[in-house]
Amino acid sequence: MARKEEPKIQPNNDLEKKIIEAFEVFDHSGKQVVDVREIGTILRSLGCCPTEAEIQEVILATENKEATGNVPLTNFLPYMCKVMIEHRFYPASAEMLLAAFRYFDTEARGYLTKERFAKLMMEEGESFTQEEYDEMMQTALDPVTDTIMYEYYINQLMVAPKDVYNLADAIEAERKRLEAAAPKKRRASSLLRATGN
Amino acid sequence: MFSLAEGCGCVSFRGGRRTRSQGDDSSSCRSSEIEQEVPQRSGKRLLNGECTMKALVPFLKFWRRDDVSMTKAERTMKAAILIQQWYRRYLARMEVRRRYTWTIFQNIEYAGEHDQVKLYNFFNALLSHMMDTNGRPSSERTSRTASVLEQVFSEESDEGGGVDETAPPKPSRGPDVEFPLQRKDIDLLIEAFRKKKHRLHPKHVAQILKEATQVLKRLPNINVATTSISSQITVCGDLHGKLDDLLVIFHKNGLPSPENPYIFNGDFVDRGKKGLEVFLLLLACMLAFPGGVFLNRGNHEDLIMNSRYGFIKEVHMKYRHNAERLLKLIECVYRWLPLGTIINNRVFVVHGGISDTTDLDMIRSLERDKYVSLLRPPVIEGSTAAESIDKVEWKQVFDILWSDPQCIGGCVANALRGAGTYFGPDVTASFLQKNKLSFIIRSHECKPGGYEIMHGGNVITIFSASNYYELGSNKGAYLKLCGNSLERQFVQYTAAVSRTRRLTFRQRVGLVESSAMRELHNQIMMARRSLEATFRSLDSEQSGFISISDWCQAMEETTHLGLPWRMLKDKLVRTDPETRKVRYMDTFELNTNRNGRKSDTLTVVETLYKNQRSLEAIFKILDKDNSGYITLEEFSEACQLIGKYMPNPMTQEQLVDICRLMDINKDGLVDLNEFLESFRLAEKSLHEQERMYEDMQAT
Repeated sequence: MARKEEPKIQPNNDLEKKIIEAFEVFDHSGKQVVDVREIGTILRSLGCCPTEAEIQEVILATENKEATGNVPLTNFLPYMCKVMIEHRFYPASAEMLLAAFRYFDTEARGYLTKERFAKLMMEEGESFTQEEYDEMMQTALDPVTDTIMYEYYINQLMVAPKDVYNLADAIEAERKRLEAAAPKKRRASSLLRATGN
Repeated sequence: MFSLAEGCGCVSFRGGRRTRSQGDDSSSCRSSEIEQEVPQRSGKRLLNGECTMKALVPFLKFWRRDDVSMTKAERTMKAAILIQQWYRRYLARMEVRRRYTWTIFQNIEYAGEHDQVKLYNFFNALLSHMMDTNGRPSSERTSRTASVLEQVFSEESDEGGGVDETAPPKPSRGPDVEFPLQRKDIDLLIEAFRKKKHRLHPKHVAQILKEATQVLKRLPNINVATTSISSQITVCGDLHGKLDDLLVIFHKNGLPSPENPYIFNGDFVDRGKKGLEVFLLLLACMLAFPGGVFLNRGNHEDLIMNSRYGFIKEVHMKYRHNAERLLKLIECVYRWLPLGTIINNRVFVVHGGISDTTDLDMIRSLERDKYVSLLRPPVIEGSTAAESIDKVEWKQVFDILWSDPQCIGGCVANALRGAGTYFGPDVTASFLQKNKLSFIIRSHECKPGGYEIMHGGNVITIFSASNYYELGSNKGAYLKLCGNSLERQFVQYTAAVSRTRRLTFRQRVGLVESSAMRELHNQIMMARRSLEATFRSLDSEQSGFISISDWCQAMEETTHLGLPWRMLKDKLVRTDPETRKVRYMDTFELNTNRNGRKSDTLTVVETLYKNQRSLEAIFKILDKDNSGYITLEEFSEACQLIGKYMPNPMTQEQLVDICRLMDINKDGLVDLNEFLESFRLAEKSLHEQERMYEDMQAT
């Protein structure tokens, strides 16, 4: 698109390209910044599964300090690469999710009542807004029994392959390999230290 | 770890095997099949059979362990958070799909407009150049060329303007409106248009158009509107033939009157199926309620745009025998539509926007009726086209009807649309200050919420066609300005909600997305030859696979659509999970959809093909040495000479780009027959789509 005039950040590998592309979908101005309120969506679209609290952490770490309210790509990209390599915000396994539902299903009936689930989602944890809740109910609620048949519902949530983390692993492994193969450079300071200075 | 089966086919991958989700998407997400979304109550659980209670035990223990120092409250909180963060991630992915789907539609739409404008600019200039160099405007060759090119650009014949009123009056079953129009006639029209049973008699249509032209002729180039009588005024944006939205607006906000005035900000026709009804209803309201309706011209109030975006076809379909005459009358209305409106000397309402050179005095004083179409040089009776092009004035009109606001400062040519400018907040601020205005209201761009405020409140975009790209794609909105302070009140709505049951966000996304993917597929197929060549050149081992990066780059370099290809790749090609390479030939496959919708975007070349003889004539002009071939050199030479006639001067590169549009890329030579052959394929697919559309209409 013709609007971009600033020099663009050049990606070094596939992982960076993926992160940049996800970022750019939300970059309306073409200036390589996004609104802080989109950070959660960007993280999740890449495959991460952060909590709301964790998203706040990311915002604090990457926000533009002079002009708060937006996050520039120059901060976001290195931070995200690290996140991927360290496997942070890694989505919990499906079994964990299923077990979490089962935890609430004290009588092991295989479903949760609408009322109980509403109370949980709206009052516990990082509660849903009314909008989020209504939207969830449209898919989660079984209209026949008027309950949350969570085992079926979980299928709908299982969407993301974790390949962005695998990609990060591959890139990191490659980098380590190259580092090991390259001759070790020694800093002058370490040489000096070695001589007992 | 076991893997749970995946849900609805909207999701791309099932364990490595690519599902043909494009075709299935639309059917599984259509309202009639909503039941599919609800999990079936079968005896078999959808979880993989290995998920027995035994396997789950260690995980359950995590939540129930007493040795871990977690209070019950903490455990509850953690479990709830887990569910919530999973759900939010799912929601976010939907949101991202919605965003890039939007981008697909918008970029294709603008790229299409861009092609259109570029090619017409080029041929217009060609026309002028021909007249210039020959020096004898009345020479046979140039006048033949001129009339041939005329035919290329307009589908009108040269018939007179009158509808055949000498024919014996058939008992008309359409609404019987009486002139001068009154409130009761408006009600009749609305009923008739809504029920679509019997058409308005063509003589009534003609009379509405003729009377409207008379009224519009008396208006200045920039309307003057005031809230002194009504103490409020309503502004509506693009309607694009969506009668339902207009009726929703009238239902919510009342019919127009001097006490309830409306400003309609252009783009009444094209794309939607009821452009004629919308247009006639607006004109009828203007006639029946003097002082209640102000109309601004939009960039689609232009027969050249209409020939591409569907309005001309609509008129032909609805009034087979009188189409040509009616179109001539419609053209008169277009010419006399005012270019903008100013409310209370404070608010400037115009369809596109402004530029850093916008001069309201010049706009007020020009003769707007000579701009028959914005995409052709203004016409003055009695002189040749080459003589009377006033490019400065032409640009003024172009800019206010085609520009878009941008967030960054400055003012640059609008390369995406091919016409008008992008204007920044500083341009807006200085324009408002210079003209002592408070803010600008414009339309021209579709927005998810129906409206958008930019430039710190100095520019408001208002868009009134809901579900513009697809059912569920966006809301429509109108703006009420109340009281002398012109306080802003936005009202949003979605038309036709009752026709489909309430779709979940996911279903809406799926629906819009599958429509977008079809559009995208059309674009890809148009560029197929060049894409295939690029892919093969990147595939040195002829393995059928290339890297993801190579594929993304190839797609962007060929289509120039500016889309997030990496995100889209799973919907377009299969990736080998081990080598992480992409099977590029998959790009061209798409299940021909059972519920095929007619594509609204005819390409320029398809439009041209309808005028095959014109094409041949154009080629003969270019083929100076009569060799039967056109070389790239011959073409560039012509382009260089023409360069100075373009309203927005183009670089050599851009002109060569036009060659790309016309597919002149075979070793620098084009054989006319082969060239026409490739158009035959375009026409064939066009007929197929039309047939599918008719089938769909019939059901």
